[in-house]
Amino acid sequence: MAHKSKSPYLKYPEKEPFPILNKHSHYDHLFEEMYELEEKGEILVFRITEEYRPKYVYTRTGRIKVIPTNKLWHHKSCGQCGNIPGYPASIFWFMNKFGLDYLNEPHQTSCTAWNYHGSGTSNPVALAAVWLRNMHQAWKTGYYPLIHCGTSFGSYKETREQLIFNKELREAVKPILKKLGRLTEDGRIVIPQEIVHYSEWVHAMRDEIAELYEKEGKAKGIDVSNVRVAIHNACHTWKMIADDYPYDPEVYNGQRPAASTAVIKKLGAQVVDYSTWYDCCGFGFRHILTEREFTRSFAIQRKLKVIAEEIKADVIITHDTGCTTTFEKNQWIGKAHGMYYPIAVMSDVMFSALACGAHPFKVVQLYWNCSNYEPLLEKMGITNWRELRKEWEDTVKYIAELEKQGKYDELMEFFKEYDLYEPYSKTSDGFKYRKSATSDLPLFKS
Amino acid sequence: MAEQTQVRKYGYNIPISEKTLQVPWEEKVRVIEEVKSDFRFKEYLFGCLNCGVCTASCPSNRFFDYSPREIVQRFLENDIDVLYDMMHEYIWACSQCFTCWIRCPFVNNPGGLVIIMREVAVRNAFEATKDLLKPYGRVLLKVMTTGNQLSADMLQPDFFPDWGPKMLDNMENLRAKRMAIPFDVGKSVKTAWEVSLQTAIEMYQIWRETGIFEMLERLDPNLYNVIMDIVEENEERWEELMEEMEEAEA
Ligand code: SF4
Ligand code: SF4
Repeated sequence: MAHKSKSPYLKYPEKEPFPILNKHSHYDHLFEEMYELEEKGEILVFRITEEYRPKYVYTRTGRIKVIPTNKLWHHKSCGQCGNIPGYPASIFWFMNKFGLDYLNEPHQTSCTAWNYHGSGTSNPVALAAVWLRNMHQAWKTGYYPLIHCGTSFGSYKETREQLIFNKELREAVKPILKKLGRLTEDGRIVIPQEIVHYSEWVHAMRDEIAELYEKEGKAKGIDVSNVRVAIHNACHTWKMIADDYPYDPEVYNGQRPAASTAVIKKLGAQVVDYSTWYDCCGFGFRHILTEREFTRSFAIQRKLKVIAEEIKADVIITHDTGCTTTFEKNQWIGKAHGMYYPIAVMSDVMFSALACGAHPFKVVQLYWNCSNYEPLLEKMGITNWRELRKEWEDTVKYIAELEKQGKYDELMEFFKEYDLYEPYSKTSDGFKYRKSATSDLPLFKS
Repeated sequence: MAEQTQVRKYGYNIPISEKTLQVPWEEKVRVIEEVKSDFRFKEYLFGCLNCGVCTASCPSNRFFDYSPREIVQRFLENDIDVLYDMMHEYIWACSQCFTCWIRCPFVNNPGGLVIIMREVAVRNAFEATKDLLKPYGRVLLKVMTTGNQLSADMLQPDFFPDWGPKMLDNMENLRAKRMAIPFDVGKSVKTAWEVSLQTAIEMYQIWRETGIFEMLERLDPNLYNVIMDIVEENEERWEELMEEMEEAEA
């Protein structure tokens, strides 16, 4: 492609990788503006240097997007951690498997954008302050932020665009960051070179994931080649700031978002197309809680029914919090109207972890999943899932018993063995103050 | 001859409410100007072909009398009465999926217009908005006091009977089950992960500086009081901790 930029943050390949959907991206211009603001000393760009082991993907404009794969600061999702704990657990499990360096800190707040989209009770200055506060914390630790939630990702992409193109917003947010001690020593705002969603990391790591499946998953008798997969792309990842999400010639010749589809194909499962692939799930932010008739009607009629009738898929693969919840929680109720279309639902990283041999309950935490996932496990060759479930339930009983007896030291000892990431031992400050916003568990009470 | 009053309608069949008609014209203009003066407005609204692509792909349009095309058109017509009326209930049907944004040939962002309208509705504490957001209070309490929007203890099966039998036993032994998640993402019950007090304190400062607490006070004074009790308690805990740290260092 002809476009040449003096900004080190804006690069295109020599040749178009696929027919480009959007050749006149206003968004891509942001990477030039960002460089200019950096040159003027207004911002500091948190660069993706070699230590983050960058990989490269294309966006739908053909831009080369840089994806850091190592030394990551995990920007967790409250919906995932609170409701789908196997989601982040599967991400961390892969990090461990690949021997990657990362930080999982209590010094992170949610983006608060779910609340904003649901209730309108925030504003762009507050959203920008929250985002930049988290980015500054990551920068301070030297670990690059990896955003787990699709809504955080979408909101951060949009907030960055607003911030780069609007001086007023920068001027409004700067004094707040100053009060919080969240500017650089010379008074600059820290802005990441790329805003990176975990699904982009999975996409960039798909070869390594497929290798692990070949080596460890198959050794356990797991085989996904007969699994029929319906892909659901999350609105806030690819429709919000649409010019900043991966596309790839291997996935519908670059005409549809590539993340999730590409990794599932790499694993050798059958990705099957269906007519409402572009539709939203019906989550609606406020709707899933307070307009539930809408959410379930939409989820069942526009997605679950269509997927069941058109393609008889075994699993819906998602890459965001709200869609996963919407699809797995809104199946059973369909029985009331003779519209029950049972199907397993999980994210790309959870499915990949299962394929690579992760424990379905200890790691992928399917216990919390309301969908009909058992037939999928059988089909994948995880036929001992009943024993594995019992194993996890016994662990829960053991923990409950120790807690009841007040044996906290023993519990801590147990977790040292059991946990895949030891709390507090590896945070940027060793969690010096050891106080949480709620202190709800005596175990971690200071 | 009896006087014929013709009620203006929008959508498929939504009459402009009596309440809206009684609000002084200047007040309605002020509210709509508040929406239009938002710095995002000019980024979200360009021309409109009236093609209906946005509405055809809008999930909310399938189940509500709601159309993004109509919002865009009414702004272009500067139809003050309809826009003002829409800000009370109509706009809350939007799912914020932004399918309209990616599909519009003019790159309009009707979902974005809706979010500005919602924000202005909340800031002006419209009665309809207050009622509409009442059931949402639990999320507001959580997000304002901890920064997290969701936690395990919010998913009580009583609230979600429609989620089926698998939800039922989730709450039993919840603490132990959360502790059996092998990462520090699930050890806590009241928050999604253990949020450090320091982080929560920074959030409170952001809410203060950006007028979010004030906005809440107007929207729901009772909820605001509950939130402020927790905020103040945490701020005291933080001050004590800082003093302890200083003493320890000295
Ligand atoms: S898609 Fe765009 S141009 Fe067409 S009606 Fe909607 S806003 Fe107007
Ligand atoms: S963002 Fe709102 S208006 Fe736009 S398509 Fe989605 S639900 Fe419809």
